[in-house]
Amino acid sequence: MKVPYQSLLEFVQTRLSPQEAADALTMAGFELEELLEIDGEPVLDINIMANRGDGASVLGLARELYAKDLDARRTDLFERATQGFPSKDEGSRDVWAHAGVEIQTDACTRFACRIFESIENSESPEWLKKRLRQMGQRPISLLVDLTNYVMLETGQPLHAYDLDKLRGSRIIVRDARVGEKLVTLDEVERELQPGQMVIADETRAIGIAGVMGGAATEADAKTTRCLLEAAHFKNTSVRKTRKELGLFTEASYRFERHVDPAGTVAALNRFAELYASITGDHAVGGVIDVVREEPPQVELTLDLKRAQRLLGMRVSDEEAARYLERLGFEILGQSPGSLDVRVPTWRSDVHREEDLIEDIGRIHGYEKIPEELPIGSTPIGGAHGFEALVDDIREAVLRCGFDQVISHTLGDTDPLDATEAKTRVRTPHSPEMAFLRDSLLPGLADAARRNGANNLHLFEIGRTHGDAERVKLAMLTVGRFDEPSWRPEDETTADFFTLKGAIERVFASTGFPCEFKRYTQDSRMHPTRQAKVLVAGQELGLLGQIHPAVAKRSDLPEGTVIAEFDLGVLRSIPASAPHLSSLSRNPAARRDIAIIAPKDVLFSEIEAAIRKAGGEELERFWLFDVYEGKGVPERHHSLAIALQFRRMGANLTDEETNALRDSVIAALEQLGAKLR
Amino acid sequence: MSDLSDIQNEAAAAIMAAKSTEELRAIELEFLGKNGKISAQMKGIGALPAEERPRFGAAVNEARSKVLALWESKQAEIESAERTKQFEAERIDVTMPGRPPRYGREHVLQLTTNKIKQVLGSMGFVYMESPELEQFKYNFDALNYPPDHPAMDEQDTFYVTDDLILRTQGTALQGRVFETTKPPLRIFTVARTFRNEAVDRTHSHTFHQVDCFMIDRGISMAHLKGTLGVFARAMFGDEVKVRFRPDFFPFVEPGVDYAISTPKLFGGKWVELGGAGLIHPNILERHGIDPREWSGFAFGLGVERIPMMASGVDDLRHFLENDQRFLAQFA
Repeated sequence: MKVPYQSLLEFVQTRLSPQEAADALTMAGFELEELLEIDGEPVLDINIMANRGDGASVLGLARELYAKDLDARRTDLFERATQGFPSKDEGSRDVWAHAGVEIQTDACTRFACRIFESIENSESPEWLKKRLRQMGQRPISLLVDLTNYVMLETGQPLHAYDLDKLRGSRIIVRDARVGEKLVTLDEVERELQPGQMVIADETRAIGIAGVMGGAATEADAKTTRCLLEAAHFKNTSVRKTRKELGLFTEASYRFERHVDPAGTVAALNRFAELYASITGDHAVGGVIDVVREEPPQVELTLDLKRAQRLLGMRVSDEEAARYLERLGFEILGQSPGSLDVRVPTWRSDVHREEDLIEDIGRIHGYEKIPEELPIGSTPIGGAHGFEALVDDIREAVLRCGFDQVISHTLGDTDPLDATEAKTRVRTPHSPEMAFLRDSLLPGLADAARRNGANNLHLFEIGRTHGDAERVKLAMLTVGRFDEPSWRPEDETTADFFTLKGAIERVFASTGFPCEFKRYTQDSRMHPTRQAKVLVAGQELGLLGQIHPAVAKRSDLPEGTVIAEFDLGVLRSIPASAPHLSSLSRNPAARRDIAIIAPKDVLFSEIEAAIRKAGGEELERFWLFDVYEGKGVPERHHSLAIALQFRRMGANLTDEETNALRDSVIAALEQLGAKLR
Repeated sequence: MSDLSDIQNEAAAAIMAAKSTEELRAIELEFLGKNGKISAQMKGIGALPAEERPRFGAAVNEARSKVLALWESKQAEIESAERTKQFEAERIDVTMPGRPPRYGREHVLQLTTNKIKQVLGSMGFVYMESPELEQFKYNFDALNYPPDHPAMDEQDTFYVTDDLILRTQGTALQGRVFETTKPPLRIFTVARTFRNEAVDRTHSHTFHQVDCFMIDRGISMAHLKGTLGVFARAMFGDEVKVRFRPDFFPFVEPGVDYAISTPKLFGGKWVELGGAGLIHPNILERHGIDPREWSGFAFGLGVERIPMMASGVDDLRHFLENDQRFLAQFA
């Protein structure tokens, strides 16, 4: 809302400079966007809060300025505005000879009009044109300019109809009829539908209530008789209509945010007095004023102790009463610690005591609120349960050397999507952001491509949307795992087992040791290089090398390895807690074995056999070499395995150690392996 | 006796002439060992009269310790020279690059979130999360939005169905908490939020919000200001001051926009951080919490705002593009 400083001064006598007035309004909640200079005068561009339609007028902002600047005085214009711009001819019945009004819908609570005759709809005087320019309006003609000016001044939208273009003398406010059409002022033909409210004459719609008038009945240069409308429409009805029609106007803006239901006749009177002062002509005597619903009377009792308690600062009873009075509240009764007030009709935002407390606080000044810390019950703060587990998992992945990325939820379809039926948003800004991700892998692939698609080890933890909303962890590894160094012999290239090792460490360290099972069914992954990852027998996710075809479509190297896990699965699995095994003081004994095993014997089977045969005394074992080629039959490989034995409380003799080793070898032979 | 002094002289000459530890080792064996020349002198002790034996013994021992002392001092000398040679040969250029370990790097929004969690967590606020794809009622109705109110226009919403939307504000957690938890309570979340708007340097359809709220007996605007003060100073520095300006959010009454100012960061200007206020009594009543007994506050702010203000990030789009050249500047 652009309001000239001079316009404010017409209502309020203040010593505040334009900047100081703007600061006062800002600290009352009406924030200055910019202090402008238009036509050589200061103009305040003020941001109006969505619940304060009354602020979208000079009068409304003047009320706030008056309340906030305790040294300010009200001008005569302010007083007359408060009384509704009383006019001597209001009691006249003359106007009823020219027109009648019928309201047929509850969405219109009041419809008032005045009639003007012998009009010369010429140009506006310079002062009026200047004010309109300052408030962002283009001057058109006296009638139109005055309707705009009075709307900007009082907040009440007005509309001028050419009375001679109306068919019949009755104005009807009603629901639009099915298929009813109306060409609006902007020369667009609009098809209306029931539920939308129109102003009609006896044969047709002549305006969309609260939004825009019709072109056919517009007041123009030839207009000599005019019907001036000032009506009150319910905000929800206007909002619905303007949204359906996509038609946003100054009038609809105000009605949506609530217009003073008691302000219709006042605006007509203000128009009439300005019109008379410019042209010397007077309106036809009297006002047609049809009231379907009286403005609500809201009376509230305010507990001033409670006000102080909630505001956290001292405000005296006298100060509180004074602030409310200056804002236009009527003090109905006052006793120590308590106030009874009537809410002014323009303050549709005030429903309850807390709203009054806010008014007292903002006028008293929020800068006076001290800083205090809440005492009372304090829980153990921070993340607990699943949220804490996710933090632990993130920390573990970081320790494994993976870099975190955070990518978009909204995206296009992608070869790495989990399903082909992603959820779509209804009105996306662009096709590239139409779908909700059901996997974090497309985001990781995107991050990889953005950074050169090689030598990257990335992960993301985030929410995905498939059949349900899930918290997932995805990882991607490709290329050299070590940071580049001048000793290239240090560097290893990441592969399936690099990522597998990290995954094992991440979940084991957070209490969820995992197992890997052969899998072939995920089409995003290489069919013979993928595995299911299970925790306590439940499927956590998948790990695998990217499918060469997907790698090509995704513009990633074929050696890329990916994994994704649904962390929510862990909610129902108890984490394993460490339980100490006593440390033996006796020395360990190591035996290395090399076996030749058929390649279709899985290492997991070999592991199980070793563990079983080694028994309690097998402390640990590890694979330290794999060889195939010369000396090893086809479809076989040679595995070198270190076995480490230790006994609690006694040393193992060579013979005992050899016997343990031999039982391991025997078990492996059962699987078809041979000692090399 | 002359034998002993000859041996002693011989040993001294050999020691002085020695050039390496190997030579010294040989000298040690020849003279000082169990079967060395000095020990061999002791074998003659039996041929001496009993009264001379102690003197002879003492003389042999004295000769041994003199040779040993000489030997040790030579050994130290040679060792030192050899070490010096060795060290010279082993010299490295310590200014050559270190071998960087793989060090998992956190995203700047994560680093910011960690800090937020640390500060609010230490003040007793419990971290919780709620769905991104949220029911309309939790995002709006439960937060006291009147049906079809212009306040919703400021939050262009992504709809999936009539009832399911991408949450427009982290505050959507509130209704879910109030349905299951009775006051007193202190909760916060860091939430991904969505607005259906075009993307440019200062707008994104996807961003993140901190939302923090508490309910207890006697909670006031002063407690809100105090909590925000502690929070803002932890995030932006000890000199930060907090200012309230009245503003409208349907879920608070009174409602404020809070701004911070610090001489260091913004040249003393007030920079608006987010919205705050006392939780609207309509919301408390809706969840069966008596506003005469309980009151609470809530505040929110954009996570991205923090690195934007503290580190001069001037384009929102950087945050979700994952350019490592950008991310590497924070961790």
